[in-house]
Amino acid sequence: MFYHISLEHEILLHPQYFGPQLLEKVKTKLYTEVEGTCTGKYGFVIAVTTIDSIGAGLILPGQGFVVYPVKYKAIVFRPFKGEVLDAVVRQVNKVGMFAEIGPLSCFISHHSIPAEMEFCPNVNPQCYKTKDEDVVIHAEGEIRLKIVGTRVDASGIFAIGTLMDDYLGLISN
Amino acid sequence: MAERTVSVFQPQTKPIKVVKLKVKIGTVVSIGYPLLIYSSEGGKKEERKLKSTQAGTVHLILVKEGQVVQPGEILVELKACSHPTIMNDMCAECGADLRKNDSVSTASVPMIHAIPDLKVSEELALKLGKADNERLLKDRKLVLLVDLDQTLIHTTNDNIPPNIKDVYHFQLHGPNSPWYHTRLRPGTHRFLNNIHDYYELHICTFGARNYAHTIAMFLDADQNFFSNRILSRDECFDPTSKKANLKALFPCGDNMVCIIDDREDVWSHATNLIHVKPYHFFQHTGDINAPPGLDKHENDKLDKGFDLTNINSKTKDVEITEEQKSDKPDKEVKETLNNDGEEEGKGDKIETLNEDSGTNNNEEDKIEKDLSNSDKSDKTNISEELPVTNNENQEVSEDKPLTETKKSTENKKPKEIEKPMEIEKPMENEKPVEIEKPVEIEKPIENSAEAVNEKVPIDQKNSTLEQKRPEDDLIEIDDPDDYLIYLEEILKQIHDEFYNEYDHLESGEVPDLKQVIPKVRSNVLMGCNLVFSGLVPTHVKLEQSKAFQVARGLGAYITPNIEDDTTHLVAVRPGTAKVNSGRRKKKLKIVTPDWLWCCAERWEHVDERIFPLNSKGSKNRHPPPHCSSPEHNISYPEHGMPEMRKRTPSGKFMDTINPLMSFSSDDIADMDKEVEDILDDESDSSEDEATKKDRSDAKNVPDLARNALTESSSSSEDSLTAEYPRGYKRKKCFQPYDQDFQDFNSNSEGEDESPSVKFRRGECVDDMLDYDQEDTQGSMDPPDEVDDGEWNMMGAALEREFLSNN
Repeated sequence: MFYHISLEHEILLHPQYFGPQLLEKVKTKLYTEVEGTCTGKYGFVIAVTTIDSIGAGLILPGQGFVVYPVKYKAIVFRPFKGEVLDAVVRQVNKVGMFAEIGPLSCFISHHSIPAEMEFCPNVNPQCYKTKDEDVVIHAEGEIRLKIVGTRVDASGIFAIGTLMDDYLGLISN
Repeated sequence: MAERTVSVFQPQTKPIKVVKLKVKIGTVVSIGYPLLIYSSEGGKKEERKLKSTQAGTVHLILVKEGQVVQPGEILVELKACSHPTIMNDMCAECGADLRKNDSVSTASVPMIHAIPDLKVSEELALKLGKADNERLLKDRKLVLLVDLDQTLIHTTNDNIPPNIKDVYHFQLHGPNSPWYHTRLRPGTHRFLNNIHDYYELHICTFGARNYAHTIAMFLDADQNFFSNRILSRDECFDPTSKKANLKALFPCGDNMVCIIDDREDVWSHATNLIHVKPYHFFQHTGDINAPPGLDKHENDKLDKGFDLTNINSKTKDVEITEEQKSDKPDKEVKETLNNDGEEEGKGDKIETLNEDSGTNNNEEDKIEKDLSNSDKSDKTNISEELPVTNNENQEVSEDKPLTETKKSTENKKPKEIEKPMEIEKPMENEKPVEIEKPVEIEKPIENSAEAVNEKVPIDQKNSTLEQKRPEDDLIEIDDPDDYLIYLEEILKQIHDEFYNEYDHLESGEVPDLKQVIPKVRSNVLMGCNLVFSGLVPTHVKLEQSKAFQVARGLGAYITPNIEDDTTHLVAVRPGTAKVNSGRRKKKLKIVTPDWLWCCAERWEHVDERIFPLNSKGSKNRHPPPHCSSPEHNISYPEHGMPEMRKRTPSGKFMDTINPLMSFSSDDIADMDKEVEDILDDESDSSEDEATKKDRSDAKNVPDLARNALTESSSSSEDSLTAEYPRGYKRKKCFQPYDQDFQDFNSNSEGEDESPSVKFRRGECVDDMLDYDQEDTQGSMDPPDEVDDGEWNMMGAALEREFLSNN
């Protein structure tokens, strides 16, 4: 789920940037440091929308670095258990398939794919398809899935998904 | 694991009627799996699905179809999810976090090559593996594990010219990381394309993951061949062996798995491995991804590779000559480099190149084609493909007769003038050593055709052509490596044999490639009876020699001496007794060991005429490393066991120094007798093999005489073309030969030689010491490797002894 929330971040600035462009530098540094990161609490920071305030810089004694507390608003993406999302299939194999929802990767076990869909390793690209070939899910295909579990660690979030519910599966245009 | 059961209750507040059950006992359900369809009693009759809110296995079904169930009653009992699939320590069925809860999972098998985090339980792995096997059998395919480095490609980190054709350049770790240069083995794409119909291809390499995937992109941009089946070092359980991963990838056993790799050790010498000839293109570079701890042999000795450092300068030379020849710009300037040194190093090379100066290349190729068509009519694939490889060479040479090529090279720098000389050199010893069969006349032609194949021509397009096609500004190095053609043939044979057996077996039974592959290999020389001459050192038992194992692996029979049914004599050099007696036999084919190695490399009965024994003999007494095959690797008994030194009976240290002092009179008498014997019959004692042969020759004389009567012309030819006339041989031929033999003996380990022979040569006394003491004395002492400390001790003992005597 996407949220637009207020967040805080501290920017540590090297003294070489102390000059007329100082605040610009703080802003650009905020974008590079924050966008694309992932925290367990808020999920992926997709984009910084506004920078609300840049607090008073505090020079670190002995180092000369200055710390600016920055308050900003950002769009974040936090996946939840039970959430239904659209994803792009990345890889299909006999154990299941991998899909990506933007920055979030997700695995769907073979058991969580409707039983009528069979794995076909011989066709290229490999795919899951129904007997009558009505529905063919292969890499690069778009699917709708439901998240059944998430794992949050330092590098990112990983999700387990399922296609076992109404209206899940291949998104046909 | 404690089995938790979960009850599924009736979810509604009103009684419901079960319309249809969607599960049976034992059905694995995941979250959202429909358990049953029900309709509410009374009121609306709409049917609804009851979906599982838990993952697990259906354990008990307490309701029947059509039954009315009151609210709160249990409908179905589920056994909780056993977490058969785990990704990142999360159950992929129920989403449970297995790090948090104390729940344990049985999932331990990483079945997907590139994703070690994804594990499945053993039962599931078995189920998936079985499905895989069934699918393979249905498609009549097998599994082929393909190694990358030195099997299909050769990669170097060295600086090489950027414009060589068929070399890919890439960086793996960002802009400032080292460059890799990868050369695909000639014919790789065709090989993969052809073999793809018979085998499911997997990459199995010790390269890092992104290296493996990058190479896979070069080999297979559309992911047609390998798909995602790429196992790299990152996924290997054991850094020195690839074998450990087999169990995980193929939980139902590896009886449908065939492996091609240039090293056996990483597969623990498995019998389903085809040990390929290592591909070596860049000089001074071995396998850059060799497993740690295991040797990274550079192979430069075996195969020189291509020295690319000179290419730029050579290109300049060519440009200069192009300017000189500007009057005829239409002609392509061809340059043919012949690295003679390289020729000798190769296992399958012919030592002497008999160049027929009169014929031009086209003719030669044609003749070779005819020859191969007639000879290998049963192996049509090979003969069809041989010309294909020749075509690459023909491109270079077909517009011009050979003489013209020479002319063009004569303009060039002295360095390259060496080349025509090298071509002419073989002509000097062109006088064929033996002309036994009428076919032999064709032999030099074929040889020269081979020689043309093995040259290293650099195709340099003319400048006018470059203007038309600027992308042709590439140096094309003609690579003589054509191993993949043979490999393809081998793999197809294995595939045929496997499914042949499969069809004959009772349904359901699957043959094991670990048996099929050795069987196919043993058909190669089936029915051949070999005799070795000069191939097995005298101190090695015939059965333990590498050559014996290789030949046995190919299905040949080996006898120590020439018998009536002997078909081949494999001789290292001419002039041995076996060769001489073999020459008198009509049907016996005398070949160099290279023939055997070539058969072992290609898994086919190579035409013997390519490897005739000539005056030079062959240097390749030992098989190239890739010719050995797993079942040949019997662990040989330790040969160089340190001999135990024994004390003198007197116990005096001094006696150990001078061997003569420690001899008993019997010993000395024995030695004298031995020396006498040697002097009496020099050849007998020093050249056992030869004399044995000679004796058997003597027995065969009547036989031979009969032959001589019936086929007088051929036998007289025999005797004329043999190294030495028959009567002359005994005295004359052993003189140089004996010398030769002694050289060989001194090269080999000396222990097996009789001490008297050594003594006669006046060889160092240290070795003698051990021998004589062993004969005459009784107690044990440290091994004969004497280090400084021991010498010091000996010195001290000596000193003491002198002092006590005083």
